[in-house]
Amino acid sequence: MYPASFEVLIPRSLDEALDMLEKYGENAKVLAGGHSLIPMMRLRLVKPAYVIYIGRIPGLSYIREEGGELRIGALTTHNEIEESSLLKEKNPLLSETASKIGDLQVRNMGTIGGSLAHADPAADYPGDPSRSRGQRRPQEQVGGEGRQARGLHNRPLHNRPQAQRAPSRDQAPALTGSFGTAYEKLVFRASDFAIVGVAALVQLSGDGTAEKVRVGLTGVDEKPVRARGVEEELEGKKLSEDLIARAAERASEGINPPTDIRASAEYRRRMARALTKQALTRAFKRASRTQG
Amino acid sequence: MLTNTTPVDAYRGAGRPEATYILERVMDLIARRLGLDPAEVRRRNLIDEAPFTTVTGLVYDSGKYKEVFEKALQIAEYEKWREEQRKARQEGRLIGIGISSYIEMCGLAPSRIARATGFGLGLYESVTIRVHPTGKVSVYTGSHPHGQGEETSFAQIVAEELGIPVEDVEIIHGDTDETPFGLGTYGSRTTPVGGGAVALAARRIREKARKIAAAMLEAREEDVVFSEGKFYVRGHPEKSVSFQEVALEAYLADKLPEGLEPGLEATTFYDPENFVFPYGTHVCIVEVDRETWKPKILRYVAVDDAGVIINPMLAEGQVHGGVVQGIAQALFEYAVYDESGNLLTAGFNDYMIPTAKDLPNIESYFVETPSPHNPLGAKGIGETGTIASTPAVVNAVLDALAHMGVEHIDMPLTPHNIWKALKDKGVVK
Repeated sequence: MYPASFEVLIPRSLDEALDMLEKYGENAKVLAGGHSLIPMMRLRLVKPAYVIYIGRIPGLSYIREEGGELRIGALTTHNEIEESSLLKEKNPLLSETASKIGDLQVRNMGTIGGSLAHADPAADYPGDPSRSRGQRRPQEQVGGEGRQARGLHNRPLHNRPQAQRAPSRDQAPALTGSFGTAYEKLVFRASDFAIVGVAALVQLSGDGTAEKVRVGLTGVDEKPVRARGVEEELEGKKLSEDLIARAAERASEGINPPTDIRASAEYRRRMARALTKQALTRAFKRASRTQG
Repeated sequence: MLTNTTPVDAYRGAGRPEATYILERVMDLIARRLGLDPAEVRRRNLIDEAPFTTVTGLVYDSGKYKEVFEKALQIAEYEKWREEQRKARQEGRLIGIGISSYIEMCGLAPSRIARATGFGLGLYESVTIRVHPTGKVSVYTGSHPHGQGEETSFAQIVAEELGIPVEDVEIIHGDTDETPFGLGTYGSRTTPVGGGAVALAARRIREKARKIAAAMLEAREEDVVFSEGKFYVRGHPEKSVSFQEVALEAYLADKLPEGLEPGLEATTFYDPENFVFPYGTHVCIVEVDRETWKPKILRYVAVDDAGVIINPMLAEGQVHGGVVQGIAQALFEYAVYDESGNLLTAGFNDYMIPTAKDLPNIESYFVETPSPHNPLGAKGIGETGTIASTPAVVNAVLDALAHMGVEHIDMPLTPHNIWKALKDKGVVK
């Protein structure tokens, strides 16, 4: 289907973009890579009168380290995140996650800001628990310095209102010490959204105990969730594959997965447990390898 | 009937995939009930030789059915995989081997049979070949390529029959202002029927050219031989006239034999004497993941006998496309409606057409047994893949789960549907 008619606005600065958003309010949508918004417009699930294309705003595409934080500009593409040597070294979970989004064409166009703003409950990035810093959901910086909104996702395809619609950047910690990460994604067909996705982070202390364990799940609820039961089971302990397998059984606690044309809620619950085991096992092995 | 479901129509293979699916699933069920190897059940039931008249009166044209079957098993390393399967099961891994031996009828024709079955049209094909004074050739075909590549294979047929470079042949199709009557590209009929018409028209051109060449060489027609684009008196290749020289003479028309019209042009309406019957054996090896129940095709071997192959690359392309479509049916594609009758799989985001990443390398081999039913000896290749592959894949997945007591799962065999079948059986949680 063709989208309903709309006008394209092309701001040249972040301030101009924010002014446009303020002016047109609910009648405007922000276009970055277009891989979420354009299909929705073609299905006429959304019919914005104005599309604000932010691709020409300078300075929104970067990956850099500042004060122990990795900062990623909103217009950074999935492919740039996948290929970034800085991320591969300091937080490889983001690189691995990006590498499993869609296909190469999607990764060349799609942006991290667009993905987070779109808030698809099965999107890949939001499952990443390394960025949540003790909070339930990722922390975002919106519209420039100082305007923070915690807990970006509210319900499917909706972010909290204070998060507005255009995070200008994402941030993640630069990981140090003995750590390992892994992202497991189950799809029935390549380049689909996740049936279930599980991101895991394991940080080991000098004596090999699990100092920090983080598990984030996507595709299993209205928003990405942390598997806190699993984390509790493992933190402070010497990990083993058996222990991980037992702990992973708690991955489906409290989740409320959808039943859709691909799979039932029950299947997704099982897969949450199976993929949690796989992701944690892989993250643990990687962490063990980094131990001196 | 009034329905709000999505319109459906004949789809690649139309009827033969369904028939083959049932037969080949039954073969595996027989093997299970009798405790035999599925290969052995087929081996005992394959036809020895052609021509073979079936109980319904069809006459299979040509084939080395057992040879093709054994060749497929050998290429796919069937016995080695059975051993792998035994070892894998001990390690808790699920490997399955699926076989599908099909025979199909295609090359849809002849008209008398089509009409007798109530079909509203005859099923011949027609072509006009016009040789220009330069020796270049225009072929006006009623058969219509729309992606199958007959612009190439028809040009090859003409080039070979007339001994001229393939670049000298132009195929004109699709514009009904210019082209003769055609009945359509479907039922794997365009090479055996349309190609047959092309070959016969080219041979008529050649026979007229031989008469003209004989006059130019001042020889008797029956003494003139044609080889590699040249006419000469048998035993005297040093004195020859080329096809292009003959073409020019056909239009200069000053040395034509008495009673022969100028020009070099032929039209044929070709109505074959019978269908053609391609057949083959496909072998599929899968591994089913024990945790996600996702099946992965480890190997896919297709051995097909489509008679004489005109263009190996196009034929292999047809096998690849067909096999992919059949795999898609076995593992991916389905139309889902909600309880109020809305189609939920209305776009390609939801309707699962697999991507290249979901598919295996397809190993395609041909055995060529010429069909006696048409001038090229060709059989159809357009639908063999969809006919053979769906049961090969489903048999493989069910073979992987054989020891778990599951005999049947409705297609598509998605990870979820495989898990659900095992769960309903009580073998997994």
